[in-house]
Amino acid sequence: MATKLNPLKPIRVWLTPPGPNPWKVVFLFEELGLNYEIKSFSFADVKKKPFTDVNPNGRVPAIEDPNTGLTLWESGAIYQYIVELYDTDKRLTHEALNDRHLCNQWLHFQMSGQGPYFGQAGWFQHLHPEKIPSAIERYTAEIKRVLGVLDGALAAAKPAAGDGARWLVGGKMTFADMAFVPWDFRLAEVLLQSWDEVWEGLPHARAWHERMVELPSWKRSMEHRARLMDEQGLQWNGVPKGIETFTEYEEKIARGEQ
Amino acid sequence: MNGDLENSTPLQSMQRIALLGSHLTSTRNKPSHKMAETKSDIHLYTAQTPNGIKVSMLLEELGLPYKVTAIEISKNTQKEPWFLDINPNGRIPALTDTLPDGSPVRLFESGSIMQYLVDRYDTEHKLSYPRGTAEYYEVNSWLFWQMGGLGPMQGQANHFARYAPEKIQYGIDRYQNETRRLYRVMDTQLSKSTSGYLVGDRLTIADIACWGWVAAGSWAGIRMDGLDHLNAWLDKVLTHPGCEKGRHVPSRHTMLDNRNKTEEELDKAAQKTRAWVQQGMKEDAKK
Repeated sequence: MATKLNPLKPIRVWLTPPGPNPWKVVFLFEELGLNYEIKSFSFADVKKKPFTDVNPNGRVPAIEDPNTGLTLWESGAIYQYIVELYDTDKRLTHEALNDRHLCNQWLHFQMSGQGPYFGQAGWFQHLHPEKIPSAIERYTAEIKRVLGVLDGALAAAKPAAGDGARWLVGGKMTFADMAFVPWDFRLAEVLLQSWDEVWEGLPHARAWHERMVELPSWKRSMEHRARLMDEQGLQWNGVPKGIETFTEYEEKIARGEQ
Repeated sequence: MNGDLENSTPLQSMQRIALLGSHLTSTRNKPSHKMAETKSDIHLYTAQTPNGIKVSMLLEELGLPYKVTAIEISKNTQKEPWFLDINPNGRIPALTDTLPDGSPVRLFESGSIMQYLVDRYDTEHKLSYPRGTAEYYEVNSWLFWQMGGLGPMQGQANHFARYAPEKIQYGIDRYQNETRRLYRVMDTQLSKSTSGYLVGDRLTIADIACWGWVAAGSWAGIRMDGLDHLNAWLDKVLTHPGCEKGRHVPSRHTMLDNRNKTEEELDKAAQKTRAWVQQGMKEDAKK
C-alpha cells in the first residue's frame, strides 16, 4: 500500500517507547508504507542534548526528513506534513477543502482535548505517588466526556457503503481517525476499568476503535513498541522488568527509588 | 516518482516541495482563490477567552468582515442544542462560513479555524507562509505546541490556582511549573529570532494562537520575570492594529491589567467565576 511518493532516504522518527504519542506517528508511517527508521532513546534523556537540538520543547515524537532537510515536532504538525507531502493518492485524507479542514478540526481536538486530558488522568491514576481523588475524578470525567463527543459524531456519520463502518469525516478512514488510536488503546489502563466498562454506552466509538486496532499497520506498530520496550528493560505498561504490579512500582516511586 | 527527492540538497528539495505545495494549493483551492477578496460569510461564535480572541485577532488582521455572536459561558450557552449543532464539543470558538459552491462550513477548535482562515483567505501570505515551505510546517509545530501544550497546561494551572473546590498545592505547582517551562521554551525561541516573532520574518497564526494565553499568564499565577523576549513579544504583537482591535472581541480584553495585581486581588477576582465553574462541574458529574 505504498504511496506514489515514497522517500528514498528513510524519515527518522525520534521516540521514547513508553508513551502513546510516538506511536501515532509510527502508525501513520506503517499505514502509508513509508520508508522510515526509528531512533529510540531513554525517556530520561528527553530534555537533554542531542534531542533538545531536534525539539527545543523536549518532547517526543520528532522527525527529521533527510529528503527535504526538514526537522519537525508535535505529532499533529507531523501528521499534517506527512499526509500533505507523501499521501499523494489521498488515501488517508480528502481532496475537498471542507473535508480537509474537518479532518484538521478533529486532529486539533485530539491534540488539545484527548491527549492532554488522558495524559493527566494517567499521571494522577498511576504515576503521582499520592492519591488525589478530586484530580483523578476531574480527568476521568473529562475522558468520558471526550469519548461521548466522539461517539455522538460517529453516530451522526453516514455508514460507509460496503461494510457500514462509520468514520469521522467523509465516509472513510483518515488521519483524523488514526490520531485517536494510541490513547484510546490505553483506556483500560488509564481508567482502571475493564474493556467493557470503558466503552459502556459508547457503541459507535468502540466499534470505530476496534476496527483500527485490527489493522496490520497498528499491529506492526505495537510489535515495534514491544521490541523497543524490551530493549530498555520495560514491560508493556512501562513498569521495569522484575516488578510484578503497578502497586509495587508505585510504592517504589513513592520511596524515591525510580 | 521514487528517487525524485534523492541526491538533491535540502534547499533544492525544499524548493521542489514548495513547487509541489503550490501545485496542490492551486488545484485544490481554485474556487476559493476567486472568492478570497470579494466575499465572505463568516460568523464567529466566541467569548472573551484566550482561545476566543485568537480568531477575532486573526480575522481583524486579515481585514475580513464577520458577524459575531457572543457566547455566555457563565450561562452555558455553549451547551445549548443550537450551538452543539455547530460544535458537538460544546466549547468556543466555533465558526461558520459558506464555500463558493454554497455548501456550509462549520468548524470548531481554534487551531483548525486559524488554519482554515489562512488557507482560504491569506492568499498573499501576510500572516502565513506558502504551503510546502519549511516555515509553513514550522508554524504548524508551534500552533500544535500551543494547542496541545501551552493551552491545556495553563488551563489546568487556572483550574487548580483559581477555580478548584479544594486547594491542592501539588496541582497548582505541577501546572504552574509546566506552564513556566513552556514560557521559557518560547522565550528561547524568540531570543533566536531576528524578527521578534516565533517563525521567520513575520507575525503568523502561531504568534496569535499563543498571545491570549501568555497575556493571561499572571491570571494563572505564572511568574513573568526573566522572560525578556517573551514580554517584548507581548507588546510587539499589539503594534499590529488588527491584533489590538481583535483582542477586544466580543468584550474588552482585561488580562494584561492583572500584571500589576497582587495574589490576594487575583484570588478575590476569581471568586465569582469559581462559584459557577464549580456549579458546572457538579452538573456535569450528574450526567
